[in-house]
Amino acid sequence: MAKLVEKRTVDMRIIGDWVEPHTRVLDLGCGRGALLAYLVQTKQVSAVGVDLDFAKITACVQRGVSAYQGDMTAFMRAFPERHFDRVICSRTVHELNDPAEVILEALRAARAVTVGFVNHGFWKNRFDSLIRGRKVQNAVYPTAWFESRPANPVTIADFEDFCRAKDIRILRRVHLSGDWKSERSLLPNLLAGYALYDLTR
Amino acid sequence: MTDDVEAPATDEPAPRYLAPGDVGLVAPHDFVHARPFTFKNGQTIPGFTLRYETYGTLNVSRDNAVLICHALSGDHHCAGWHAPTDRKPGWWNNLIGPGKAVDTRRFFVICPNVLGGCQGSTGPSSLDPATGRPYGLRFPFVTIRDMVHSQKLLLDHLGIVGLHAVIGGSMGGMTATLFAIEFPELVRRVLAMATTGRESTQAIAFNEVGRQAIMQDPAWNHGDYPTPGGPRMGLAIARMMAHITYLSDASLHRKFGRRVVQNKPGEGPGTFDVQFEVESYLRHQGQSFIDRFDANSYLYITRALDHFDLGTAYGSLEQAFAGVQAESLIVGFASDWLFPPGQNRDLALALLRAGKRATYAELATEAGHDSFLLESPELYALVRAFLEREETVVDFTI
Repeated sequence: MAKLVEKRTVDMRIIGDWVEPHTRVLDLGCGRGALLAYLVQTKQVSAVGVDLDFAKITACVQRGVSAYQGDMTAFMRAFPERHFDRVICSRTVHELNDPAEVILEALRAARAVTVGFVNHGFWKNRFDSLIRGRKVQNAVYPTAWFESRPANPVTIADFEDFCRAKDIRILRRVHLSGDWKSERSLLPNLLAGYALYDLTR
Repeated sequence: MTDDVEAPATDEPAPRYLAPGDVGLVAPHDFVHARPFTFKNGQTIPGFTLRYETYGTLNVSRDNAVLICHALSGDHHCAGWHAPTDRKPGWWNNLIGPGKAVDTRRFFVICPNVLGGCQGSTGPSSLDPATGRPYGLRFPFVTIRDMVHSQKLLLDHLGIVGLHAVIGGSMGGMTATLFAIEFPELVRRVLAMATTGRESTQAIAFNEVGRQAIMQDPAWNHGDYPTPGGPRMGLAIARMMAHITYLSDASLHRKFGRRVVQNKPGEGPGTFDVQFEVESYLRHQGQSFIDRFDANSYLYITRALDHFDLGTAYGSLEQAFAGVQAESLIVGFASDWLFPPGQNRDLALALLRAGKRATYAELATEAGHDSFLLESPELYALVRAFLEREETVVDFTI
């Protein structure tokens, strides 16, 4: 058996904690399949990921993770209601043209949905735009404006408004500090760098 | 190189069949099944032959076999060379060989010519033992399922107890998929490319034009013609038309543009002789096809394609896949308009709905349906990842 060491991030651990063993999990924007490989190994889930990039699908196949190359909303529409136990949308939501469409479709195709995103309300991110007059740059958005993909920045306050407006139940929420290593519950929209939500209908 | 002995200088380049990564010179074998075989429609033939090739070595546990399934006009010769003077190697030589994506140092590769074919396997041009004449239209109606079941008998004959993978493109993708449905305990991986779970209306329509070209040729004579001979013109036209569907507007344009050929004396722009390079190319495709393919086989195999419809045969695609034990990899090609990406996606989605392990990948080539046959490092990397992945335990403790 081949051995491989991979950095397990705190958000990955929390996402994993919310996954029930032996369930059916879909990861939207699965990349090279690191999260799904982690969930297969630790929770024995039946996993599938969606991504747009051929090389990333190849990396998933290399790991033994099922993956689908294509549009995530179209993919979910191909499944009956609650086919999945959980859909995970982690570090992806800020790149969506129509986040409501994706999250609502995920809430149809799955019993529960995990959403994780960079909080653009975090004071350093506010500082970037307000004081420095620059596009936000951080670990998830490391690039300068001219080499960045289109982004749809979101704050914790925006996200909670969205959940209220769409009658989405928030079962759990975890807000992480600026370095994403510890939990931060005080004034999250200002002091949390990363947010994780466990949603259901 | 640390070796300071230089190879003797020679004007002759090394023969192509000795190129590293090639299986080299190969020879076909014949599997003779000397007992009656009943087709799906109930008709029986007293026995059949399947011509096949193998590369690599079957391991002691007899489980490193990879079955290659060919497309409509393909055959058992998928890698290596039959003779040093061959102009071309087997049709999937770029994929199969020592160190290649389908690595013959690891895998025992088997490629049979299909039942109903004309490259050494029993088909309508074979002699009917009852009459001593070619079967012609008396040959039973062939389905993809009949191809699969006859190939299973070959695997039994070879003592194969498990297939590491079944791989095929186009019709070969149908065969590969059906193998995992019909013999789930045998197949561990399915790799199907540029294929479909159901022959589309458009594909049936193209097949019908090809068949009409053959059947309207007086030399077809209701399938009763001497070999060699028969409806050569009709078969050539069928091939010319079909060949267009294997390519794409963009790839035809890139290959030929509107370039014109040099006219012979007496031939000018106002004639209907060959004028554009693409015409010359298609005529060549038609001509070279009639020297190696039988018109009745073309009718039978295109009919087998037309009737391929997993959803109808098993109630639904999900029901078709219910018993599958294999892990599947479906690959579509963006420019394929014969079996477009959507039809390949549908296969992967149905497998996933049925709770199976399945991956869909799509390659952005512009070469059309035949993309699966072309050299593509990205495709090779994917195929290798699928075939050679070992169970990996990742250490996530840090």
